Amino acid sequence: MTTGTVFDIGYQRYTEVREGRGRSRQAIFKDGVRIALGFGRGGRAKILPWFFIAVLSVLGLGFALVAGAANRLGGPGTAEKVHLPSHSDYYGIASIILFVFGAVMAPELLCRDKRDGTINLYLVRPVTGGDYVMARWAALFAVMTVVAWLPQFLLFLGLSAGDPAPIVYLQQHWIDMPRFLLAGAAMALYVTTLSMLTASFTSRRAYASVFLVGLFVITTPFTVGLAQEIGGKAGQWISMFNLTNIPVHVNDVIFGNVSEVTEQAPARKLGSVILVSWYFVWTLVPGAVLWWRYRRLG
Amino acid sequence: MTTNGTNGAALIAVERLTKRYGDVVALNGVSFEITDGITGILGENGAGKSTAIKILLGLLQPTSGSAMILGQDATDTVAARARVGYMPEHDCLPTQPSAAEFLTHMAEVSGLPPSSARTRAADTLRHVGLFEERYRAIGGYSTGMKQRVKLGQALVHDPALVFLDEPTAGLDPAGREEMLALIRKTHREFGISVLFSSHLMADIERTCDRIIVLQGGRLVQSGEVRQFTKEMETVFIEVDDNRDALVAALARRGVQVAVEHTGLTIEGPDESVYDHVRDALVEAEAPLRRMAPRRRALTELFEPTTMSS
Repeated sequence: MTTGTVFDIGYQRYTEVREGRGRSRQAIFKDGVRIALGFGRGGRAKILPWFFIAVLSVLGLGFALVAGAANRLGGPGTAEKVHLPSHSDYYGIASIILFVFGAVMAPELLCRDKRDGTINLYLVRPVTGGDYVMARWAALFAVMTVVAWLPQFLLFLGLSAGDPAPIVYLQQHWIDMPRFLLAGAAMALYVTTLSMLTASFTSRRAYASVFLVGLFVITTPFTVGLAQEIGGKAGQWISMFNLTNIPVHVNDVIFGNVSEVTEQAPARKLGSVILVSWYFVWTLVPGAVLWWRYRRLG
Repeated sequence: MTTNGTNGAALIAVERLTKRYGDVVALNGVSFEITDGITGILGENGAGKSTAIKILLGLLQPTSGSAMILGQDATDTVAARARVGYMPEHDCLPTQPSAAEFLTHMAEVSGLPPSSARTRAADTLRHVGLFEERYRAIGGYSTGMKQRVKLGQALVHDPALVFLDEPTAGLDPAGREEMLALIRKTHREFGISVLFSSHLMADIERTCDRIIVLQGGRLVQSGEVRQFTKEMETVFIEVDDNRDALVAALARRGVQVAVEHTGLTIEGPDESVYDHVRDALVEAEAPLRRMAPRRRALTELFEPTTMSS
């Protein structure tokens, strides 16, 4: 048997490269992704994100299975003929799940740091408050985007595989892919920005989550009822304040048709330019406020 | 003067620094310089210690005056912070990640590449005595272990200067001893300069080379700890009889005494005082009941009459 000796070489000064602010931002971004997905945390931290990812994926797979079965039973194109939900309808139907996902995840990324006081450690490192919040925002946006895209990919693969002529299906429907990528990114941008802004106002995760879910859930019946009651142009503008529909209108513009969710919304009559501009108001303004709030910190 | 090794400047140079919050003056025209070593900032709660540290870290903007840290203006310290560590007084640790993961992350946030960050995190945890426990979630640590993680995250990126804000707060006597030993080790073995704020005179005395005393936002004293604590020493003498004769005998030998309710106090004595006391006791035929060196209490230290600089 060989024996060895362990020598304590003492404290060693760090003489290698220091990568500065870019590395700092990247580290905060990476940490944000890990927090959002529960990586490096206990089992409980993984339950919620992966539950939502599973539900959204099952929804996408369900659409694919139903459409595939319809096409097999009724022949190619049956799913489209009977208007079964597809790529253009997915974000409208799944929007509430995505909103709740954002409402749960954003406070995890911002509120914990404030409540635990960890934000004070970030702000004395080579990053500014703006760097910190933008890196956290980017982390949630990346996760939200992937979570939004994943079921659409599953749906696309399912529809292709389920079609009796997959190659023909791909040739005819390839355009759906850039459309759902763009619409998914738009949905993620909206949900991420509003969720992060709300989470920035409190250190208590539950308050932020409940407020956000309430905001998304309550504005829908309230604006729908009021818009129908008032009617006309005013009703259309009131309908614009249905927060769950704002990114779905953009989805409709991208796909060039009206999804089942926004079919009855008076706001859709206002036209694409107004709907897309309204969407940017609801993403850029909250984004600027979020950045400004953290920029002040240091 | 010891320098930061980059441009010949002091590690910290503060000039007429003032910070006001409305009518409240947290710092009032404070000037000092800090060089290599362990420097203590002593002051009661509200003296301006944390405000000074926050200004130096760029977390607060001064109302007037200037503060330079590692040769850079404290109002724009983003780049300099890569060479600065900070251990806050209050809780600042996440509960879910392990100490190893957290320190690796903090090293990366300080600009270290991921592979170096992992190595530095493991080394630092070994130096602060948490190597065996490094994969446990921080939420399950004791107060003493959490203080070590706080110190570890301040050191993990190998700063030139580390700010420790009340590092012994909340620790039991054994934990406090260990923390003070770690702070001494931080400078003497690791070569990292330390700025250590505390309201505990004993901690500062036993750890620091130099001291800065703040009171009500003003700098009331600064200098070498050895000299400073010597000035704060007193000898307390209690006799059974002939106290007035003893005072007179001491006065004849040039020793100034303060008469207290139960005895006499000699301030800032040097070694020769003990010989004079012995001779005066014999001359005055005063039976000695007790003679003991004594340090002033912190409350005495902060009395304006004793602190005038």
